[in-house]
Amino acid sequence: MIESLFAGQGASPFGRRQRRARGPRLPVIVVTGFLGAGKTTLIRAFLARPEGANTAVVVNEFGEVGIDQALLRSSSDVTVLLGNGCLCCNLRTDLQETLRALFADRARGAVPSFERVVVETSGLADPGPVLQTFATDRALGREFHLQALIAVVDAVNGAGNIARLPEARKQVALADRVILTKSDLADAAARDRVKAGIAGLTAAPLAVAENGAVAPGFLVDEPLLPQRPIDLGDAVHTHGLDSFALFFDEPMPWACFEQTMAALTALRGADLLRVKGILAVAECRGPVVVHAVQHLAHAPVELENWPDDDHRSRLVFVTRGLPRAAVAQLFAALAAVAGGAPTRDATAS
Amino acid sequence: MPDTAIWNFRQLAHHELDGFGGIGEGMSIQIAKDGRRILWLAHESAPKNFTGIDVSDPREPKIVARTDLPQSHMRSNSLETVGDILAVAYQTKEQGQQPAGFELFDISSPENPRSITFFDCSGPESRGVHQLWFADGEYIHMSSGAPDFKPTHPKDDQFYRVIDVKNPSKPVEVGRWWLPGTCQGDTAPPPARHPEGADTGFRPHNTNVYPERPDRAYLGYIDGGLVILDIADKAHPKMVARWDYHPPYHGFTHTVVPFFDRGLYIVSDECVRTEGGDWPKLVWIVDGRAEDNPVPIATCPLPPLAPYQRRGARYGAHNLYENVPKPNAWKSDRIVLATYFNGGLRAYDTSNPYQPAEIGYFVPEPPARSPSGAIQINDVFVDERQIVYTVDRHSGGLYTLEMDF
Repeated sequence: MIESLFAGQGASPFGRRQRRARGPRLPVIVVTGFLGAGKTTLIRAFLARPEGANTAVVVNEFGEVGIDQALLRSSSDVTVLLGNGCLCCNLRTDLQETLRALFADRARGAVPSFERVVVETSGLADPGPVLQTFATDRALGREFHLQALIAVVDAVNGAGNIARLPEARKQVALADRVILTKSDLADAAARDRVKAGIAGLTAAPLAVAENGAVAPGFLVDEPLLPQRPIDLGDAVHTHGLDSFALFFDEPMPWACFEQTMAALTALRGADLLRVKGILAVAECRGPVVVHAVQHLAHAPVELENWPDDDHRSRLVFVTRGLPRAAVAQLFAALAAVAGGAPTRDATAS
Repeated sequence: MPDTAIWNFRQLAHHELDGFGGIGEGMSIQIAKDGRRILWLAHESAPKNFTGIDVSDPREPKIVARTDLPQSHMRSNSLETVGDILAVAYQTKEQGQQPAGFELFDISSPENPRSITFFDCSGPESRGVHQLWFADGEYIHMSSGAPDFKPTHPKDDQFYRVIDVKNPSKPVEVGRWWLPGTCQGDTAPPPARHPEGADTGFRPHNTNVYPERPDRAYLGYIDGGLVILDIADKAHPKMVARWDYHPPYHGFTHTVVPFFDRGLYIVSDECVRTEGGDWPKLVWIVDGRAEDNPVPIATCPLPPLAPYQRRGARYGAHNLYENVPKPNAWKSDRIVLATYFNGGLRAYDTSNPYQPAEIGYFVPEPPARSPSGAIQINDVFVDERQIVYTVDRHSGGLYTLEMDF
């Protein structure tokens, strides 16, 4: 690349080392959840707090145009309504155009300054295409960073939705964090059922909303990666969605990771619903954050420092019909060929 | 009135300095003997000279010292500290006025700055010192007039001077340089003046010298562009490079910061007219790999004209964070921090120097006592804790920030 003419001794293979995964990019928090789950209430509660200042809200309302926008506008300076339709299908381009326009309007002073974006998706949205939108520089990945994908599940209808509707399962399976709402309206048995349904899909942190609100950080902070293996139990066999984590004690050559992912993508890209993690890379001074969605991989980001005391490489996979053992064996095989040894993964622990 | 606009900075505190919040372009950190971290600020104009602020806790800055100028026709504007020595520049409004020069203070007791010496630069055609660079404890590099200097044009009354201050009680000039043609008696013809209204002088503004190249001085030479001097022999500086891009641009090259390891120079203009009268005033990325042939390759994205032009006072580039070569100063050869008057403080990532990218800004709301009704962010300093200090030119005082990019 031409900028390598001016690399200097402090250069890294992946550009300037960043303080955190998003670097300077604008964080985007995507809130999914079925109709009536309480997404708008959660966002309004966040906007009303000091931590919610400088937030732009993008609402994707399916059906009754503008209702949620009207509810939100009073508490946010910048609220944009996407057209009438479901974000995951015909409106993915609208989301790109809307966020691009927001970025440009902000740069030319046409809208008030903001430093984060909250996207409220329509109830039926499949978050997969939204994730893809942020996964490459060609779309939005240069200016925006998917900070957190939040699934909102209500305790009254959530268990039924998870059981019946693949979109509901995918929202939960792909989420970085899950928020359970309306638990005061459900009896103990219903609460247990919905919690069991969630636990069968994800090991992501779960918060129970109180009066429709959660701690602001639970909504907007960068997710932490797991420090223990993920085991979703037998539920995987019924719905086919799996989530697991691989841990590696030793740094791996970048080519080892890159080629393993290339093989996985070539053979089963459609079933790699989401891959995220942090790696100790042999060629890098700092840890490297990676993120992929199906066939798309975001540019790696090297951090200045590890975010916590656990310096193992950690990779979280959300897959469809692709078991942990197969992925772990592929990593081990390439590591053996490379002559190094990511010596341990979750399957061995 | 526009609200504060902030992105990828976190504001820690704002101190209006008790009504004396007009700060120039001198900002320097001293670690006092008792461990306190004192930020010394030069005031932009009389009546105040300089202020010392305890910023040990950047969330609670506390004034520890403030001094007055002896004459209302003086301004200090620029200062630097090395250890317990503070050097302050004095410039007068008119040529021939006094006192004009620089003063050294003993600040070992920050509450009681004690004058060590005054170095006189006054003269019939001198306004004294506009800016000084003092980083190694041995030499002051400055933009100054002199009693014996006779410019060919009154606006070219300051030039590059090197003063040996190894004995702070007896500073001695060891070298000087001016653009050929700006001193009476030069064999070179005087430089062509910039157009009426844009003629701001062929004289240095910043005069930076770094330990990576102690044999070089990097000068923003106002209407003369970028100038690099070989100062291996301080008694006889020699020009090794010049990049002059005006006209068509409007002059007033202000600061040159080398990113040595990368072969780049970051160069700022200063906006000196109101309401966009000299737009665009820019921060330039210059390829310096061939020292004798600086090549501009990009400019940092300028805040948009429309929302700022009518906000009041100046809008455009001014000071850069200069990678000050001292232990209590931050260093980066990737990030540029630049001040833009009513465009606030802006941060850029130059990892790809052909496409510098804006990664943060801080545009505070207009200070309560602002005469123009606008913020005029004037200068910026970053300490080794990565705390950012930025100041308003007229009334807003000091803002402390964290970088969040």
